Amino acid sequence: MIEVKYFGAIAERTKCEFEKMSFSEVSLQKLLQDLNEKYQFESLTFSIAINQKIVSKTTNYTLQTSDVVALLPPFAGG
Amino acid sequence: MDAAKRYNRQTILPEIGEEGQYKLSKAKVLVIGAGGLAAAILPYLAAAGVGEIGIVDHDVIEISNLQRQVIYKASAVGKSKVQEAKLMISELNPLVKVNAFAEKLSGKNAVSLFGKYDIIVDATDNISIKYLINDACLVTNKPIVYGSIFRFQGQVSVFNYQNGPTYRCIYPDENNNTLNCEDAGVIGISVGIIGMFQANEVLKMILGIGEVLSGKILVYNILNNEQQKYDFDKSDFQLVNRESFEKKYNKSEVEEINFQSILEEINNDEVLFLDVRNNGELPKMSLKNQIQIPLSTLENEIEKLDKNQIIYVFCQSGIRSEIAVELLQKHQFKNVKSIVGGVLSMKQLIKKIKL
Repeated sequence: MIEVKYFGAIAERTKCEFEKMSFSEVSLQKLLQDLNEKYQFESLTFSIAINQKIVSKTTNYTLQTSDVVALLPPFAGG
Repeated sequence: MDAAKRYNRQTILPEIGEEGQYKLSKAKVLVIGAGGLAAAILPYLAAAGVGEIGIVDHDVIEISNLQRQVIYKASAVGKSKVQEAKLMISELNPLVKVNAFAEKLSGKNAVSLFGKYDIIVDATDNISIKYLINDACLVTNKPIVYGSIFRFQGQVSVFNYQNGPTYRCIYPDENNNTLNCEDAGVIGISVGIIGMFQANEVLKMILGIGEVLSGKILVYNILNNEQQKYDFDKSDFQLVNRESFEKKYNKSEVEEINFQSILEEINNDEVLFLDVRNNGELPKMSLKNQIQIPLSTLENEIEKLDKNQIIYVFCQSGIRSEIAVELLQKHQFKNVKSIVGGVLSMKQLIKKIKL
C-alpha cells in the first residue's frame, strides 16, 4: 500500500484527505498520471513530497510499499 | 523601571533574559499586509517588545474583515488599516516605534522598504505578492516569515534564512491561480493560529533560540489538529539579483523595438526615424526619412514632430532614445518606439545584411 495525502485545494478536488493505493511498487510518474486521470487536476498547482521531503515533479522515483506521498498546493489566504 | 516590570515574565525565562529583551528592543520587523494574519502577529510582537515594527497595507477596514481581523473595532470601518493598527500598538505598548505605510507593496518600494528592517513577515493574501516579497528579500538578503491559509488549513515557513531555501524553491510555478480568503472563505481562528506561528518564528530568530522553520514547511489543519512538516532544499534555479528584479518588476513603459523587425519600413514615407544624438556623433546614419534633434533640445523643438506619426527613435546605444520616447509620450505622442541597441546595433545589422 502506498498512502497519498491531499491538502488545500487538492483535497477539495479529491474530496478526501488521504487514500491508500494498492500498489506495492510504482513509479512516481505513473502514480501522478493515474491521479491526474482520476481527479483532473489540470490547472491546480502543487508540490510533491515523498516521506515528508519535497521532490521535483519530474523525479524518477520508484515508490515502495509504506511510502507516503503528499500533494501540497500553495495557499493564498491571509 | 517601567520596561523591566513590563517584560519581567519573559525576561525571567532563561532563554530570553535581559540580553534577549535587549535583542528584541533592537529588532526591526516589517509586516506586509494588515489583515487576519497581521491581527495575530502585530499585538504579540508589540507586546513582547520588538523595538520597531513597520506595517504595509493600502486597504481600509471593511465590515467583512472584522470576523478575523480582531485588532480592528467596528467604529473603525472605513479607516486606514495601518493607521488603526498603529493606534492599537501604541495603546498596547508605547515603547514600540511603529511605521505605518498606507501604500501597496510594489517593485518600486519593496527593496528600499525591506532594506530598513531585519525580518520581513508575509501576512498577505495573494500569490503574486508572495513572489514579489520573496524576490525583494533575495535582493536585500532578508529572511521572510511566510504564512498562508486555505480554509481550515495553514502553511508556515521561513525563507531565505541564512541563505536558505526560498518560496520559489517550493513553489517555482508563479502562474498559478490559487484562491484567497475572499474567494475561498476563512475563519478567524485559522488565520490567528497561523499568524501566531509566524510571530513565534520572528521571536525565535531575533532571540536565537529554538529551531527556525527554514527549509521546512509546516502544514496545520485545525479541523483534525494534524500537523505535518515537509523538508525542502534550496534550488539553484531560483536565484534573483537586483538586475533581474528590476527587469521583472520595474520594466519601463517605453516600448522598444528591434531594428530588424522594422527593416521593411525604412523606406515607408509614413515612418520617421528620429536621431536624438548630438550633431557630429559617429557613425552617421542616413535613412530616407530621418531627422536629427538632440535629446537636449527635443522638448523645445517638439513642434517639428507630428504626434500621430509613427516615430522610431534611436541614439548611440538605446539609452537616450528611451528617455526621448518617455518625453514624447508625455507630450501625447502615440506611436513612438525606441530602437534597441541604437546606431551600434543598427549598423551591425546593416553590415550583416550586406555581406
